[in-house]
Amino acid sequence: MAMLPEAVMVALDVMLAVLLLVMALACLVDRCLWRACRNFVCFAVLMALTWWQLGSPLLAVVEAVLGAMLTGLSLFFALGIDAHHRLPRRDTLPGSPPSGLKSWLLPLAWLVMATTASLLLLVDDAGTSFSEALMVLDLPTIVGLVIIGLGLWAFTRHRHLLRRLLAFNVLGSGVFLVLAGVTGPRIEAQALILAGLIVALLGSLLGASLIRRLFLLDGRLALGSGPGGAE
Amino acid sequence: MNDLAALGDEALKLTPSLWAAVWLVLGGPLLLGLVALYWPPRRMLTVVAAYLPVMAATGWLIVTVAASGPRHASLALGELTLTWYLDGLATLLMLLTQTVLLASAVFAVGYCRAAELPSRPAAWLWPLLGGLSSGLTLIWIAADLLSLYVGLELMGLCAVALMLLPGEADALAAGMRYLLYALVGSLAWLLGVSLLLGAWGRLDLAGLAAVAEPGTVTTIAVALLSAGLLLKASIFPLHAWLAPVHGAAWIPVSAVHAALVIKASFVILLKLWLLLVPGQVVAAWGLGGLGSLAVLWGGLLAWRASGLKALVAYSTVGQLGYLMLAFPLLIGTSDAVATLAWRGTWLHLAGHALAKAAMFMAVGSLVLATGRSKLSELAGTSRRLPLPLLTFGLAAVTLMGLPPSAGFTAKWLLLQAAMQGQQWIWILVLVLGTMLTAAYLFRMFRHSFDEQAPPLTYRRLPPGMDLVPLLLALAALALGLVADLPLNFLSAQGASS
Repeated sequence: MAMLPEAVMVALDVMLAVLLLVMALACLVDRCLWRACRNFVCFAVLMALTWWQLGSPLLAVVEAVLGAMLTGLSLFFALGIDAHHRLPRRDTLPGSPPSGLKSWLLPLAWLVMATTASLLLLVDDAGTSFSEALMVLDLPTIVGLVIIGLGLWAFTRHRHLLRRLLAFNVLGSGVFLVLAGVTGPRIEAQALILAGLIVALLGSLLGASLIRRLFLLDGRLALGSGPGGAE
Repeated sequence: MNDLAALGDEALKLTPSLWAAVWLVLGGPLLLGLVALYWPPRRMLTVVAAYLPVMAATGWLIVTVAASGPRHASLALGELTLTWYLDGLATLLMLLTQTVLLASAVFAVGYCRAAELPSRPAAWLWPLLGGLSSGLTLIWIAADLLSLYVGLELMGLCAVALMLLPGEADALAAGMRYLLYALVGSLAWLLGVSLLLGAWGRLDLAGLAAVAEPGTVTTIAVALLSAGLLLKASIFPLHAWLAPVHGAAWIPVSAVHAALVIKASFVILLKLWLLLVPGQVVAAWGLGGLGSLAVLWGGLLAWRASGLKALVAYSTVGQLGYLMLAFPLLIGTSDAVATLAWRGTWLHLAGHALAKAAMFMAVGSLVLATGRSKLSELAGTSRRLPLPLLTFGLAAVTLMGLPPSAGFTAKWLLLQAAMQGQQWIWILVLVLGTMLTAAYLFRMFRHSFDEQAPPLTYRRLPPGMDLVPLLLALAALALGLVADLPLNFLSAQGASS
């Protein structure tokens, strides 16, 4: 890596960041569940590459194994890819009404707080203007903040349980990136991210088995009372 | 209040034998649970006997801390250091946790048999309860944010998995709702922790309390941490998932959940606020306001509830609200007020844990024996099932705050604190809340003492299932009589700062 000239390194970083965002978006907006899950696996692989790039090979390996492989497997298990009763291929549920106060206020507040705080953390000088402050934020933090925004939007907007689980996983990756960005290379940060990755995997496993069993029991695909999850 | 001064003192490190006791309380229940996965206990006495070492270790820790003051421990994992801290509060919470867990485990033996639960999911009850116990114990003794995170997640995931055991669609949907909230809550927590770590470069609470200056970053970090914890604790207005979850879960699981799991988030919240933002009076009033709304709204929902379990579950929302009053009474008030509120809060927490576990078990016995789950269908049960109703009544005495229960002493202390601090609004909340609690709890007796009803057929339950909740309810009553003992222990350690 050190052999490469700096311009190439920067170009690689930027390309990785753009790819991450594209994959996150592709994973969150696709109504075809199978493709969304595949996109998530690609996203997790890109996350592993990002950890490698950020100089923590341990996290890269853990992300590849736990995030890409095991979470991916649990997602495909929830879809029932090779089982007799598959989940419907497409998510046909309408999204939650965008007017719902709760669904917008909470994520927005969260995002604004996270952005302000990370800006304040990275800008020592009180006098710097906003555009200067934006320059101080390093690339992973910005990408992380954008991914948090995307994940929150998807988490509150979608009603299909599998898509909400995907949104949670994407959201989690965004939080880990911000964590790494604002704390720098610290052993405590690595431990926190490691614990977070394990929790995310366990949560996804639980969630996937739940989605599967809910579907098998009465065809429910979203939270709510009626079959099919109609509110 | 939270005195972590002993953290630097070499003489107060844990001795090897105390380490063994801590590990026994931390890991013992989990090990027992794993054993029980393969050899599920068939008799209640087996559970009691197997749990004796854990209880003994807890007792020994309390005696040691009472005799020679708080202890601290650091656990080095490579370059990483975890900090644990054992004071009066932590050890008393350990005792409360182990008592409620033991009672639930004993009750569960009878419940599995009487409810004819399928054996495979029922066997998983044990390791998950064990994991829950480990998570809770870790939370009580943790003095750094990483240990707290691990404990919180261990507890949360075990709690979700416990909700899923029944395998009915409603239980699963409730579990899924809880899982989604808990996972997002944990991400908010992680973001808050990362901000603190980025700003001050450390995770141990004592160090953070020393170096963290109140400012925008600290405030935002604590706000994120609080949002995550409130989501997990089902404080109003984030209580939506609580009642459906309890409605579908098994009774011993509901008991542990309402008594301990949602309290854990509150305890962490209080710890963090007192250490990191001791000057945020306005926000503390905000939390107190949320708590007041929870008291009233939870009471109203319980009053309107038609299901037995829903009544008890909504009552939890209301009773949690009283705990939130601790924030305005502890933050920015005089020492005398803070001491009263500090004692009242912990007493309320302990009394509610014991009484609510007892009440859930009594309600579970009623539902199981009659096969009905609606309040209105309980007519005529008073003659045939006097013991569960007696237990319910005793637990109700604590929840309503009638003397001589722990609930009465706790509310008295909170009332005094509010009067001395001249925060009159909380007095109104306490009075209204008590009246609402009485109103919804008496509905239960109005239905069950209805003598006109046609006789129902009843299922016979093992006597232990009546005895265990009765003992818990009596413990909640007795706690009010001997409240000075644990409270002096608490304040001897806590109020010195």
